[in-house]
Amino acid sequence: MSFWLLFVADLKSMLRNRMALFWFLVFPVIFILIFGAVFSGSQQPVFAIGFAFASGDPLGSGLSDGLRKLDAFDVHTGTLATELAALRKGERTLVIEIPEGAARRAFGGAKTGIPVYYDKGHEQTSRLLFSVVDEMLMEAERRVSGRPRLLEAQFQPFQTSPLRTIDFILPGILAMALMQLGFFGSFQMVALREQKVLKALGATPLPRLHVLGAEVLVRLLLSLVQLALTIGIGVAVFGLHVTGSWLAVLGVVVLGALTFTSLGYLLTCRARTIDSGQGLVQLVQFPMMFLSGIFFPVGIMPGFLKRVAALLPLTYLGDALRQVMVGMPPEHPLGLCLAILGGWLVVSFALATALWRWE
Amino acid sequence: MPAIEVQDLQKRYGALRAVDGLSFSVEPGEIFGLLGPNGAGKTSTVEMLVGLRRRDGGTIRVLGSDPDRPSAALRGRIGIQLQQVALFPRLTVIEMARLFASFYPRRLDPAETVARVGLQDKGHTQTKDLSGGQRQRLAIALTMVGDADLVFLDEPTTGLDPQARRSLWDLVLDLKRRGKTILLTTHYMEEAERLCDRVAIVDHGRLIAMGTPRELVDTHFAETAIEFESESLARDDGLRGLAGVSRVHTNGGGAVTLYATNVALAIDELMRYSSRREAPVENLVVRRATLEDVFLQLAGRRMRE
Repeated sequence: MSFWLLFVADLKSMLRNRMALFWFLVFPVIFILIFGAVFSGSQQPVFAIGFAFASGDPLGSGLSDGLRKLDAFDVHTGTLATELAALRKGERTLVIEIPEGAARRAFGGAKTGIPVYYDKGHEQTSRLLFSVVDEMLMEAERRVSGRPRLLEAQFQPFQTSPLRTIDFILPGILAMALMQLGFFGSFQMVALREQKVLKALGATPLPRLHVLGAEVLVRLLLSLVQLALTIGIGVAVFGLHVTGSWLAVLGVVVLGALTFTSLGYLLTCRARTIDSGQGLVQLVQFPMMFLSGIFFPVGIMPGFLKRVAALLPLTYLGDALRQVMVGMPPEHPLGLCLAILGGWLVVSFALATALWRWE
Repeated sequence: MPAIEVQDLQKRYGALRAVDGLSFSVEPGEIFGLLGPNGAGKTSTVEMLVGLRRRDGGTIRVLGSDPDRPSAALRGRIGIQLQQVALFPRLTVIEMARLFASFYPRRLDPAETVARVGLQDKGHTQTKDLSGGQRQRLAIALTMVGDADLVFLDEPTTGLDPQARRSLWDLVLDLKRRGKTILLTTHYMEEAERLCDRVAIVDHGRLIAMGTPRELVDTHFAETAIEFESESLARDDGLRGLAGVSRVHTNGGGAVTLYATNVALAIDELMRYSSRREAPVENLVVRRATLEDVFLQLAGRRMRE
């Protein structure tokens, strides 16, 4: 009875607290809208490829026309001098030179070199394209020789709809919102500790654990509202397709909410004042937000940051949510994500319980 | 059986003896005051009585139980008023009363209790929007709503203006009329004199006097106090030699208190002395001795110096 009333009291307090509602509910929605707007333009990077060949060269025009059909490539043709000048200015990613008479020599069966120029400063990106160029030349060679292809990769997409940046961002922002809720929601207990209310409650018949329990229950309820809001905005504004089962999504959200609630209480369990609690929470929350692949894939980070990301629970919550919500290919298997989140939950819960102070 | 019985209570914080051999008992139905300056050990004593702090020595019986081995039954019969109002700043007065009622096995009607402390018009106000006095009244309502037999009030009127203080005193007297036992701590002499059936004066964790306010004054004072302000006489040792004056107390400012066995003679002497010295006397007041004077005599300083 008193637990139920405490729960209702907590819920009313939360609903009457406009600042909390803003941070926990409106803020993630704003984030999604901003990121959605920013990435609603072209989804893929476009590579500018320059071809330098004498006009009418069959190999040159064949290759450049073939590449032009692909959206990812912005194909230019010109003389070697103009194309190299463009490469120097950064207007080309690669320049492919088809030397005079190359086609004739190749058709005659002679080994023929095709120079490919790239900017050494952008070696990473350029190398990505080398295999494309190789593949393109091999295909041309096969046509010339008339030799059939024996092994052919058959690409079979199993995505119902193509994944877009918003599909990557949206589950990540939900993960971030769950973290904020868990971390910043823990300040209520710090305030009660600071004002010595928790201590005073020790002299009433009310078990103090009820106060904590009611708070956690309200937090869980709010995390479900966050889920509904993010999915609602995703579907209504960005045409999001939820591919996973609702039960799986719900399960991951509850696990995430519990893990970060537990971590929040661990971070603030010794804080005597709101101010001191805030310092520690922000020290953890801020790097976690940027290193966990919420806003960009962990894959593009340098090695040592990848190793940091591999330790953070938010990395796995974001990964798991992307997998169950939109069917994003896993960075880590789902089972591993859930196990690591569960591990963080158990360890932080045990530590928070051991270190907990009511007064 | 006394409602509270304390024998040789001890509490140390490091080298500091916050409570140092305190003994007293509180009878059912009385208002008992622990009176002393800040740091006298009053709050530590209350916290040990309600089981929020462990004692280092001595025995305590509260409603027959040891608060160090608290039972749900005991907690259900005592009410404490600390800073509970802060629990849910965004709940309304009536919501808080309902919530607190639900904690206790016996409970009073929340709306009636809120009305009894005079907050009926504030029933739907969030507690964070209450004034200091309204907050304290709500705190009292929250200790009442569980229908406790024994109520602890720790400095219930600290920080209140005189009017709010008086209206809170009426509430405490109302509790007593309903047969409750009340232990309150205060450093306001006037509060102790107005409310308490018996008072224990404590200083540095020790009991320095105990009894009814009347007894305490009568035992320690046959004299009457004469107060006045005078910059120059406050620094004048000659006052001690005036006929009819037994003791003199001056503070750093210009305030002087003369304790007189014969008031008429003392005032006559004082007037002559002041005109001889050409030192005018202002704001002259003659009053009966109070607990403040008792504390001054026993502890050698004023309660709030």
